[in-house]
Amino acid sequence: MHWIEGIVQGILLGGLYAQYALGMALMFGVMKIVNVTHGDLVILLALIGISFADFAGLGPWSVLATLVPIGAAIGWLLQRAMLNRVVGNDPLPSLIATFGLSIALQNAMLVVWSADTRSLSGGGIQQASIEIGPLFVGVLPLIVLICATLLTGGLDAVLRFTRYGRSLRAASADVEAAAMVGVNPKSVYATATAIAVGILGFAATFQAMRSTVAPADGPFQLIYAFEAVIIGGLGSIWGAFTGAMILGVSQAIGFRINPGFGILAGHIVFLAVLAIRPQGIFQRKS
Amino acid sequence: MSYRVERMTTSGRIALLIGAVALGAIISMPWWASQGLIRDVITLACYIAVAQMWNMLAGYGGLVSVGQQAFVGVAAYAMFVLAQTFGVNPFVAVGLSLIAPALLAVPIYLLLHRLEGPYFAIGTWVVAEALRLVATNMPLVNGGAGMSLRVMTQFSAHERAIAGSILAALLLLVTVGGSYLLLRSRYGIALTAMRDNPVAARSQGVDVQRLRFWIFVAAAVGTGFAGAVYFMVQLRITPPSAFSMEWANLAIFIVMVGGIGSIEGVLIGAVIYFFADRWFGEYGASYLIVLGLLTLMTALFFREGLWGLWRRKFDAPWFPTRRTLVQGDR
Repeated sequence: MHWIEGIVQGILLGGLYAQYALGMALMFGVMKIVNVTHGDLVILLALIGISFADFAGLGPWSVLATLVPIGAAIGWLLQRAMLNRVVGNDPLPSLIATFGLSIALQNAMLVVWSADTRSLSGGGIQQASIEIGPLFVGVLPLIVLICATLLTGGLDAVLRFTRYGRSLRAASADVEAAAMVGVNPKSVYATATAIAVGILGFAATFQAMRSTVAPADGPFQLIYAFEAVIIGGLGSIWGAFTGAMILGVSQAIGFRINPGFGILAGHIVFLAVLAIRPQGIFQRKS
Repeated sequence: MSYRVERMTTSGRIALLIGAVALGAIISMPWWASQGLIRDVITLACYIAVAQMWNMLAGYGGLVSVGQQAFVGVAAYAMFVLAQTFGVNPFVAVGLSLIAPALLAVPIYLLLHRLEGPYFAIGTWVVAEALRLVATNMPLVNGGAGMSLRVMTQFSAHERAIAGSILAALLLLVTVGGSYLLLRSRYGIALTAMRDNPVAARSQGVDVQRLRFWIFVAAAVGTGFAGAVYFMVQLRITPPSAFSMEWANLAIFIVMVGGIGSIEGVLIGAVIYFFADRWFGEYGASYLIVLGLLTLMTALFFREGLWGLWRRKFDAPWFPTRRTLVQGDR
């Protein structure tokens, strides 16, 4: 019973990690870059949302509705102003540029919001739970998981069936050939990053409702997103989702063994997957 | 008509002479410098060593790491355990502790080299985080409370200054001198070829994978050496300080601003970082915002760094590694 509860908690936690991981998988799939500020943007959006809630009296769902477009705008701007200059075969410039931005962003948030941990009030939804068989499941984590599933399915459908999805897959397969048949890679990239950071608007709202956020938390969210993507297998949207579930379950079970061991258990599972199945759970051997 | 290959230049000879004098000055510090100055020089030597090792990884090996603090922490902790728990002479322990990063680098590389470019970097970060958590939970190293090097009280301040100065000079000799020798050797040509284009280098018979592996292990040892020396002088270690992101941060800043792929750039960058940290460190967050933005700007607009700018104007390398064909006899 104890363990089943742990697994359920883990899957629910995985719902949050999936929301971090989707954008990272998308950006790496298309541009082969990692945005080191990925986690810091979650925190930035969460802090903006909390300030909105405090000053404008917005409820959690209105906060969500404002953070998603703000996130998309930040992503679009980030790609246009900065990342489009560093996309290329050499991984160094994009990594170093976003690494520097990450340090600047963390400390800028520290100046604006101080080092205090903050959270977003959900108007009672945090405490609500429903009974499923012998288990009590929190309503909020369940909403997070459903949201993550819908986002994953939605993103997968966009990539498969829409005109934009086709141009994105083309740019990802061969950017020069795509440009020849009329795809503008820079605007495809900008839209991809806008989608990736827009999804972080969901992650930020839920993260701030479920627990607390502080300016220095970003790197941890980046690492969880990364682990989920690698466990699932590169470049696969549902792979990132599954990887997030596996990471969530590993951490939840680790926490039950010993509270100091939870996060470490996630790292160990990540390293084990890298050792045994480096192409990820979902990817076929190429 | 005969030709010969020349590597040394006048500027190189002068730099070598200055370098030898500087090392002599560092070793003789206990007899003329204040305690504060000795500490500063040792700190600067550690910065130079960590940055130069990162430069070898990223600038030549094409291995961008943001987790070099893993090796700083592991070597420093090995040194503390050997000296404090097992009673090994602390100065001998610094040498012995280097086995730890060397042994650790092997499985880390074998696991992480499967990850593509940027993912390799984040992978090194995960490893450093995992090691920090292991240290936090490990009774042998007193968990999150950290350790103090109380055994150092058996030595006088003067004896400690002598050991610290010799270790700092040795650290510079191994990391900077060692890199220079390596870059001048046959392997240097292979490394430079690999830096410019790994695929082309492979087609010319360079075993890129093997070279990368050895660079990774060597950089781990050099970085660990700096960590062991740094924390021996600090006398205290905790998991957050040993596995601090600050190490990756300073290595990246120093190498990028100074100029990646050159030893001169590391020296320039390290001096800039050292004084920036001294003068503006008190501004805390605002200082780090500027530091982060400078790193960002360098990566976007100024990829060759300060040394690259200098090199455009003057052809006078301090550590010449280029081979030039000279006509005629001497």
